[in-house]
Amino acid sequence: MMRALHGLLAGLLWLAPAGGALAAPEDEIQPVGIIAALTQEVVEIRSNFTGADFLVYGAVTGLAEGDDIVIVVRGPQEDLRVMRKIRTFGIWVNRAPIAFENIYSYYAVASTRSLSQFATFSSLRREGIGMEHLRLSAPAHEREETRFGVGGVVVTELGAEIVDYRRAIVRNRARDGLYVESPGGVDIIDGGLFRAAVRLPPVTPVGEYALDIYLFRDGVPVASRRTTLQVRKAGLEQAVYDFAHNHAPLYGIVAVLIALAAGWGAAEVFRRR
Amino acid sequence: MDIYLPIAEVSVNLFLILALGLGVGFLSGMFGVGGGFLMTPILIFIGIPPPVAVATQTNQIVASSASGAIAHFRRKSLDLKMGLYLLAGGVLGSIGGVQIFAFLQATGQINLVISLCYVGFLGVIGGLMFIESAGALWRRYRQGKTGTPPKPRRRRRGLIDTMPFKVRFPVSGLYISLIPVIGIGAMVGILAALMGVGGGFIMVPAMIYILRMPTSVVIGTSLFQILFVTALTTFLQASQNQTVDLVLAVLLIVGGVIGAQFGARAGQRIRAEELRAALALMVLAVCIKLAFDLVSDPADMFELMEMSGRPTS
Repeated sequence: MMRALHGLLAGLLWLAPAGGALAAPEDEIQPVGIIAALTQEVVEIRSNFTGADFLVYGAVTGLAEGDDIVIVVRGPQEDLRVMRKIRTFGIWVNRAPIAFENIYSYYAVASTRSLSQFATFSSLRREGIGMEHLRLSAPAHEREETRFGVGGVVVTELGAEIVDYRRAIVRNRARDGLYVESPGGVDIIDGGLFRAAVRLPPVTPVGEYALDIYLFRDGVPVASRRTTLQVRKAGLEQAVYDFAHNHAPLYGIVAVLIALAAGWGAAEVFRRR
Repeated sequence: MDIYLPIAEVSVNLFLILALGLGVGFLSGMFGVGGGFLMTPILIFIGIPPPVAVATQTNQIVASSASGAIAHFRRKSLDLKMGLYLLAGGVLGSIGGVQIFAFLQATGQINLVISLCYVGFLGVIGGLMFIESAGALWRRYRQGKTGTPPKPRRRRRGLIDTMPFKVRFPVSGLYISLIPVIGIGAMVGILAALMGVGGGFIMVPAMIYILRMPTSVVIGTSLFQILFVTALTTFLQASQNQTVDLVLAVLLIVGGVIGAQFGARAGQRIRAEELRAALALMVLAVCIKLAFDLVSDPADMFELMEMSGRPTS
């Protein structure tokens, strides 16, 4: 009876029960909870933007020996097309496009240790934590099947080839600093206080970013907390971008007029000298 | 000092862009070329997404051709009627070119087509320029006959004289079919949209050798056509593809117009064979670099694109 009650209490205290991870440890005594904040909740892209750094910090109540903390930052989702280069008449041509849907434009994982040291495969897969467990799906080439008596298993008609495409996405993004994995990137400072540094590269896309902080115990997440971050263009960058997209024809006319004025002006100035 | 470009969505060094604008502007003023065929590949090399590089460079050519076109208009050294017919072709070509551009972007082939166009045109132009200037240098070195250079081929009745829809062009003293005129104009319009060039390097030889216009009005007429075609192309790229980056364009224009004025002065004083050979070598170097990138094993065998086809990085 007491055990069941404790389990229930722990369940209620989960601030965001992520994906139904219901494997609460039964010898849990102290309820766990996470509070977290960012040093910067809005990142503004201005003309001098060359990337941004901020800290995620917070505290875990009921942190026990052997617990691990994982912080996942997920940027706005977008649809992607990935093409393979195939040599055609001696030159490399983009061929064989595959459309991927809802791909994070930014994805960073920081953890106290490397993920495989403390988390089970299935919990990482369920929460989509880590580069191997990130969901990268190409729905046009997928269908659900029942395999070994398990329903809803997603299989792809592309076979092993899809792995190359998925790896290509991760590799490309990692090169631009958009996909980052940093085992050891979360420091537990003292008595449940933690912090982690997050780096946004110069090519950071604008939009809403979700930060999830997970507390892992015995291989599974026992608590999580979500906070958000906004990346937006500001100042002149914002004005020019909005102008170009909201009033495209007028923007074109202004661009032409500026060029005409500059060309004519320069000719006049130099003619008089 | 780095500056973030709002449409290209990359950071570039402010002084690098200004210096490139000045340098290419200087060359364009000195040799009377637009400079687009050098600037667009350079912009792509330094990491500007090709669609933005092409569209923004078109905007810069509006500025660089404006001052020249005004000067020729004042001196009346242009064939306005011919210019208007070329322009009509250019408008068709530009509209078509921007559509082709959007289509290629949607199928993920735009970078390849831009590179192929550049390799082809830069190879031919650079090769011809190099042969011509090397020949001039060789003749000077030998101190041989200082007489006239070999005359262009004798005028003979060619294919274009048999084409219909003939129109009289009094300023050029021509009575020719409209088909090659519109065709050349359209060709240049497509190139402006696809390659971000004015197309003077195609149009000037075409006007001299195909249309046989008098050289006194060739430059003015081509500048007139380039000015309006690039202005239209800029407008279409901005309103249809949103690929014109005003911040980048202003930086290129500032460097370009100033560089062009100094280049034009320097060009009047300097004996140009060596410089022309140097420019030819530069053009060939850009061409070889682009060709090498097409055939050498790429760093990554995969490319990521937004669904619209725009490369993501």
